[in-house]
Amino acid sequence: MGYLNNSVVTVDAILTTKGRELLAKNDGTFRITQFALADDEIDYTLYNPSHPSGSAYYGQAIENMPLLEAFPDETQIMKYKLTTLPRGTAKMPILDVGYTNIVIKQGASLAITPQTLNYLGGNQNESSGYTATISDVRLLSTFEGVGIDSAQTNALNVNSTTTLGTNVSATVVGTTINLRATTVNTLFGSNTALYATMTIVGRDSGARLQVPITITKVS
Amino acid sequence: MSFNRLEADDFVVSADSITAGIFTDSQIPEITTFFTSSTQRTSNSGDYYLNVFSNAATSSLEFAVTYGNELGSGSAAYNLDVDGKSPSSTVYGQYRTLVLGDENADFTFGSITSSDFWAVSMERSRYKESIFPGSTTLLLRGPDGVISLTDNSQVASSVVFNDAGRVFQLVSGSAGTVFTTLESNGYSIDSGSYGLFLPDIATYILNPRALSNDEADGGIGLDATLTSALTATDSPNLNTIFTAITHSNASSFTANSEETITSDFVFVRPRSSQFNYSENPSFISGSTGEVLYPSFINAPTTYITTVGLYNDTNELLAVAKLSKPLEKDFTKEALVRVKLDF
Repeated sequence: MGYLNNSVVTVDAILTTKGRELLAKNDGTFRITQFALADDEIDYTLYNPSHPSGSAYYGQAIENMPLLEAFPDETQIMKYKLTTLPRGTAKMPILDVGYTNIVIKQGASLAITPQTLNYLGGNQNESSGYTATISDVRLLSTFEGVGIDSAQTNALNVNSTTTLGTNVSATVVGTTINLRATTVNTLFGSNTALYATMTIVGRDSGARLQVPITITKVS
Repeated sequence: MSFNRLEADDFVVSADSITAGIFTDSQIPEITTFFTSSTQRTSNSGDYYLNVFSNAATSSLEFAVTYGNELGSGSAAYNLDVDGKSPSSTVYGQYRTLVLGDENADFTFGSITSSDFWAVSMERSRYKESIFPGSTTLLLRGPDGVISLTDNSQVASSVVFNDAGRVFQLVSGSAGTVFTTLESNGYSIDSGSYGLFLPDIATYILNPRALSNDEADGGIGLDATLTSALTATDSPNLNTIFTAITHSNASSFTANSEETITSDFVFVRPRSSQFNYSENPSFISGSTGEVLYPSFINAPTTYITTVGLYNDTNELLAVAKLSKPLEKDFTKEALVRVKLDF
C-alpha cells in the first residue's frame, strides 16, 4: 500500500480478487459492462461552504489530498458510491432493516427485508434487491437471499462464499435475507455470545448499512 | 442509480510493443560482470550448461551457456562402452530439434555447416517475450583478440523463419550496426557468420569455426575442445565460452527484451446530471438522510476518487484510483480513461 503521486492526475487500475477469479474461470463472466464511481476516503466535513475566501476555496481541503492506491479486495473498495439523483434532493437514500442491532438466540430464525428510504420519491424495496455480507458465516446455519429469481442472481448466491483465514464471509443477494443462528455449541467455547457484522448494500441506490449481529447461547 | 452502462465505443483495445533492458536491472540494458555458481557447476546440470549471473546473488540469473556436438565430443561419455553419447550430443540433438525441427538437418552459419556450436540461452523471466532485434552487443575475447557481435536484423533484406521463429545471422558489429571492414556482410573470412540469433526463443547459437579463426580472418582464436566422448573427462567447452564472455578487459553483454502488452482502454464518462450525490456517511447528516449542508440540496458537490468496473451481475472486476479527487457537480462532466493491461 502506498500513496499515489498527485502532482498530475493519473489513474491506477488493477483487477480485483474477484476479477482475477472470474478471468481464470474463463466462462464469460469477466465482461465489463458497467461502471460506478465512489468517493472512498473523502470526508465531506472538510468541505467548507463558508470559507472566507469564497466558493473557489470551499473544497480546498479535499481537492489536494493524496489518495491511497487501490485495494484488490473488492469488499474493501467502492464502499461509498456516488449516485444519480434529481437536483433538489434533500435526503439521501438510506437503508432501514428495522434493527440497529440484531440479536438472535442460538437456533432461532430471522427474516430481514431491507427497505430503502428517500429513494425515487418514497420508501421502497429496490427492484434489483440487496447484497448482504456476513463477516463470519459460521455463526449462521442458514444465510440465504430470496426474492430475486434470475439465473445471474442464483449463480451469485451459489458461488459467492469467500474464505478469509479460518473465518468465512459470505454474500447473498435478495429482497429478503433469511438468517438462522447456529446450533453448534463448540463455536461458543466459554463465551455466552458470538458476534459478527452484516453489511447490506442496495444494488440500485448504492445505499449501505452495517448492522452488528449477536448470537446468544442457549444453556 | 449507482451504475451506468458502458457503450461499445467506450472500449478500445490496443497492443503495444514494449522494450526494456533484458537483464535483472531492466533500466540498464548492459551487464559487465559475470558469475557462475560452483554448486550448479559441480552438479549434474553442470555437465550440460552453466548458469551465468550478473552478481553474486542467485536472483540475478541472466542466461545459461552450453555446448553441443553432434558426435558427443568435448564432454565425457555417459557409458565408456558407447561412444558418441554424452551431454554435448544430447545438447546438440536438443537444439537441433528445437531450432531445425529435422533430425537430419545441420546447423548452417551463412554457407558453412557445423557439427558443433555454443549456445547462449536467456533466462525466461528476463526476455519477457523475445529479444528485441538489433539491440544485441556481445563482446567475446579469445587468445587472438576481442570481437563484438550483433545481429544483422537491421540490414537483412528479408526475414528468414525456421522452427524457432525468426532467424538472423550473428555478425561482427554493435547494437545492430554491422562492421564491414573484413566482409561487407559482417561475416568471418571463409567460416561463415558468427552464429544464429533466434529472438523468439531468446537464444544465440555461436559458430565455433568462425570464432576459432585467427584475428586476420575475423576470429579470436577460440577453439572448442573436440576430445572424443570416450576420453573426455569433463565439459571444458562450457568454461571456454564462459571465459570468453567474462574476460576481465571490458566484458560486456547488451540486449533488450521485447513484449507485446495488450491494453484494454475503458472510457468512463459521467455526465453533468449524474453522480452528483454520495452515499458517503460524511455526506449525510443525521439518521434520516439529510444532506450535510443545505447548499448540497440544489448545488451538491462530490469528489470522485475511485472508478469501479462491473459485470452484469454487479461483481466488481477491476478498480481504478485517481491520484487526486476529481470534483463533480451539475456543471461538470468528466472523462476518465482506465487502462487495463493483460
